[in-house]
Amino acid sequence: MKTFLYFLLFMFIAAVVILLAAMLGDLGAWYFAWLIGTAMIVLIAAAGAALLDTQEEQAAGRSGQAPPRPS
Amino acid sequence: MIDATVVELSRWQFASTVIYHYLFVPLTLGLSFLLAAMETVYVTTGKPIYRQMAQFWGKLFMINFALGVATGLTMEFQFGTNWSFYSSFVGDIFGAPLAIEGLMAFFMESTFVGLMVFGWERLSKGQHLAVTWLVALGSNLSALWILIANSFMQDPLGAHFNPVTLRMELTSFQQLIFSPDAQSKFVHTSIAGYVTGAIFVAGISAWYMLRNRHMELAKRSFRMAALYGVLATVGVITLGDALGFVAAQAQPTKLAAMEGLWKSEPAPMAFNLIAFPDQSLQKNEGAVQVPYLLSLLVTHSLDGSVPGIDALERQAAQKVENGIPAVLALKTLSTNPHDIAALAQFKAHEQDLGYGFLVQRYAPDLEHVTPQQVQQAARDSIPPVAAVFWSFRLMVGFGLLMLAYFVLAVIYTLRNRVQHQRWFLRAAVWMIPIPFLANETGWLVAELGRQPWTVFGVLPTWMSASTHSVGYMVFSLSGFVLLYSIFIAVEMALMVRSIRQGPDEPGSGDSRSAPRPAIAPHPAYAAARDPHPEG
Repeated sequence: MKTFLYFLLFMFIAAVVILLAAMLGDLGAWYFAWLIGTAMIVLIAAAGAALLDTQEEQAAGRSGQAPPRPS
Repeated sequence: MIDATVVELSRWQFASTVIYHYLFVPLTLGLSFLLAAMETVYVTTGKPIYRQMAQFWGKLFMINFALGVATGLTMEFQFGTNWSFYSSFVGDIFGAPLAIEGLMAFFMESTFVGLMVFGWERLSKGQHLAVTWLVALGSNLSALWILIANSFMQDPLGAHFNPVTLRMELTSFQQLIFSPDAQSKFVHTSIAGYVTGAIFVAGISAWYMLRNRHMELAKRSFRMAALYGVLATVGVITLGDALGFVAAQAQPTKLAAMEGLWKSEPAPMAFNLIAFPDQSLQKNEGAVQVPYLLSLLVTHSLDGSVPGIDALERQAAQKVENGIPAVLALKTLSTNPHDIAALAQFKAHEQDLGYGFLVQRYAPDLEHVTPQQVQQAARDSIPPVAAVFWSFRLMVGFGLLMLAYFVLAVIYTLRNRVQHQRWFLRAAVWMIPIPFLANETGWLVAELGRQPWTVFGVLPTWMSASTHSVGYMVFSLSGFVLLYSIFIAVEMALMVRSIRQGPDEPGSGDSRSAPRPAIAPHPAYAAARDPHPEG
């Protein structure tokens, strides 16, 4: 049931995205580019933070020390 | 006729309030999505450092947000108090996006800001994350509507002038929202805010790293800001190009002023890298040119060309002569709206109505306009070239500087070496004012380049102001400058105090950041709540 609900949710999101792309495509797609671009910028920034955590853990593993404990 | 000094003072008052207000806005736009990014990492990884980051930068966001709202309120009222003819003339179109902007800012954004600040201990992780994203969306969507309103002033699409009601009326809401200027300006402005937020976070993080304080928070904040900033800067530059392309079509006088282009040239046109424009002599002194570049920049082709100021002035003179019968017909229609001949005369000349208004400043009696008065009005149609030219170059220079800075920042931070580059950390702190200067110079290009119009090609600035006295304007302008200077001082003091104090770090041993909850929970919830509920 949960999988089906997720399926419905993602289908709805996909339909909205396709609708927006179709509407904006003829008119100049900057608003659409902003939606996609902002999500991408935020996710890449978030991925960068996760990568830093991994780098610090690997560096600590190589030096045989415990990784620095954030917070 | 409205006193020219009152018009100038009204312009100064609006410009000064916008300049002050726009010191706060871009940081709100950019920091809000950066907070959403930090909290997204907190929710997905569960690491408390990211919660601490979201709370610390959220505190600085709140200081900025509160003062931004306070300075923005008066701006909207100025349309009515100082620009009453403008408000009457275009209120049917301008009012709708302005009202939606108010609804976005005061209902959506402010409501969720409250939940974001006071909800850390009361909402689940997922709920709080959703609220933070909604704050970011609300802030930027609020900006969207005011920028749609501004874009109407730059390129009045989706409206027509009704000669019977003597007002402009909306004909297409879709054209208003999706005008090329609105689309490119919103994205350019919004992501310029992201760049501002990124440089702010990176600069303060660098300051902490220089002092070896809060290192884990600073390194992570810097990493996120660098990636966020480099992508945003690329976007800002792309959209800046798009805006220039749009201006070439919709506002050729603005583009000619931006490029110091006094004489029309055949393609491929050279770009004035440096020049000292002289408006009275209509030429540049000490120009340093790059061959072919202007054609490439503004038409995206080597064969393309744009008109120079000489050709635009000739066009304007023709439009002034064509606009005079439209204004005369309008006067007849204002006394007898059913005059068929006057209506036909208006229809034949309505596309140049604004230029007819432009010459009325010099020739109140439009039945007897001299060629000199037509020429004077045509020359007025050119914005102040030197100010627009240099504001544009400063903005572009700051943009390229920020791109270079972020590329270097990304290289250092991805190698996890940034904390050892002390010269770069010092430079990062000095970079903090740069995006604010870039934002302000960008708005100078947009608004000075629109002159002499409040609505480009339709309504001249000299007609748009209210009929206040000079004394009243001097008094209110002085009051605004004093009050807003106090706001800036308060913001700076609160920001510096919060930054010096730093984030709350349990167990850090730093007396300035003794462990305590970011927001004291309500006693009724304190016993029952789970301090870190799963979303």
